Amino acid sequence: MKGLLLKDFYLCCSVLYLMVPVVAILGVALSLLVSTWVLVVLSTVMFGMIAVSTINMDRVSGWQKVSAVLPLSRARVVDSKYTLYLLLSGAGFLLGLVVGGAVSGIQGAFDWATMGIYLAIGVDMALMAGSFTIPLSFLLGEEKNVLAVILAYPIAAAAFVGIVVPLGGTALACALAAAVGAVCYLLSWMLARKGLAAREVTG
Amino acid sequence: MSGNALAVQGLTKRYKDFVLDNVSFVVPRGAIVGLVGENGAGKSTTLHAILGLIHRDGGSVELLGREDTAVDEAFRNQIGVVFDGSSYPETLTPRKLNRVFQSLYQGWDEAGYFALLEQLSLPADKKIKAFSKGMKMKLSLAVAFSHGAKLLVLDEATSGLDPVVRDDILDLCLGFVQEEDRAILVSSHITSDLEKVADYIVFLHKGRVVFCKPKDELRYHYGILRCGAAQFEAIDKGEVLAWRRQDYQWEVLVADRAAAQRKYPKAVVDPATIDEIMLLYVKGERP
Repeated sequence: MKGLLLKDFYLCCSVLYLMVPVVAILGVALSLLVSTWVLVVLSTVMFGMIAVSTINMDRVSGWQKVSAVLPLSRARVVDSKYTLYLLLSGAGFLLGLVVGGAVSGIQGAFDWATMGIYLAIGVDMALMAGSFTIPLSFLLGEEKNVLAVILAYPIAAAAFVGIVVPLGGTALACALAAAVGAVCYLLSWMLARKGLAAREVTG
Repeated sequence: MSGNALAVQGLTKRYKDFVLDNVSFVVPRGAIVGLVGENGAGKSTTLHAILGLIHRDGGSVELLGREDTAVDEAFRNQIGVVFDGSSYPETLTPRKLNRVFQSLYQGWDEAGYFALLEQLSLPADKKIKAFSKGMKMKLSLAVAFSHGAKLLVLDEATSGLDPVVRDDILDLCLGFVQEEDRAILVSSHITSDLEKVADYIVFLHKGRVVFCKPKDELRYHYGILRCGAAQFEAIDKGEVLAWRRQDYQWEVLVADRAAAQRKYPKAVVDPATIDEIMLLYVKGERP
């Protein structure tokens, strides 16, 4: 699987170099408009989307067929995408945390409670959305896949609100929403390993 | 060790509008087998079913002496595949691909890979998107030759390439089977390429195997008897494989050219190319 992750890293590299300054600029801009911690949500989601886009790149380049004849099980190919998503979302999360923390620190507006809420939103949004977008990117063609990605994030946001608001918007509720996101992601991963691995590879 | 690198028996795959019907053939070790047929004949479906990319509805596949259901991940190191067109992400370079495949194939031969790149004049640090179609195909072959494969499966590896590049690729294939435990199955609709390198020809038409024969038998025994209407009527149809009318002349495919020439001395009997055999089977009539 290391080789698959390395290939995806090469694919993402050119985009990642661009993303770091974008996140830094966004952090400064957001600090002037809303909470700097929104950046954690944005960068986590944006980095995760890069991972999802590699599935389509594989289809377009013909790599999907190559990966199906490599000395690897199909489940490992699915694993590599879920792992990449976690790695990139995690990198985005950390970058958002560092930039957000730095900017709020400079402003003297560091607030643990606000940070916690946005961290939970970031985790929930990324994992909940990823649990839809990854399998759908394998299953759907390029155009439908874009639609799935667009819809996944409002659904993830609605799920977060649906959990947190009835529970009074407490920190515990936010943590619960993040945990639900993680459970959805794990379930999606397990199902995708079975379902996607058994699919025919065409095109 | 089984004498066959690949044995396909009764392979069947049903789609709504196409059926790959009971396809059987073998690829002996040390041989190149050409899978020919018109577009849509079922060549790619056959290869995809052999490689497990699609599920088959019937039949069995034996790869390097092992049932394909028993082929594990490590065993796949011994099977090299080249698909039609570019198959690698275009932002990568051959050098980066080397690092990727190093981690994927147990027996990856880095030195051999770079030697092949040099032999094929492929720049190691140029992005694949800057490669021509021929260069991309050579790169695919360099990868397939660099992980100790015993069986190579090439899907339309020479289509759309100029004659010089095609010749380079065919030379590589011939070099590959110099070691007699190796074999190649290559699908192509460019039959002239297969005439150069293949030892056996499997001809698919509408999802069925029309024939599976040694190439030399086709080249040296098969013939096309050209005659007029009266002579055509006099021909024993039991000796005829296929025929078609071309303006005022009849073209008749026979399996034994020499015998046909002896029996019909007034007729012209020419050697048949694989192209001509294919055309007569596809467009002609059969007894």
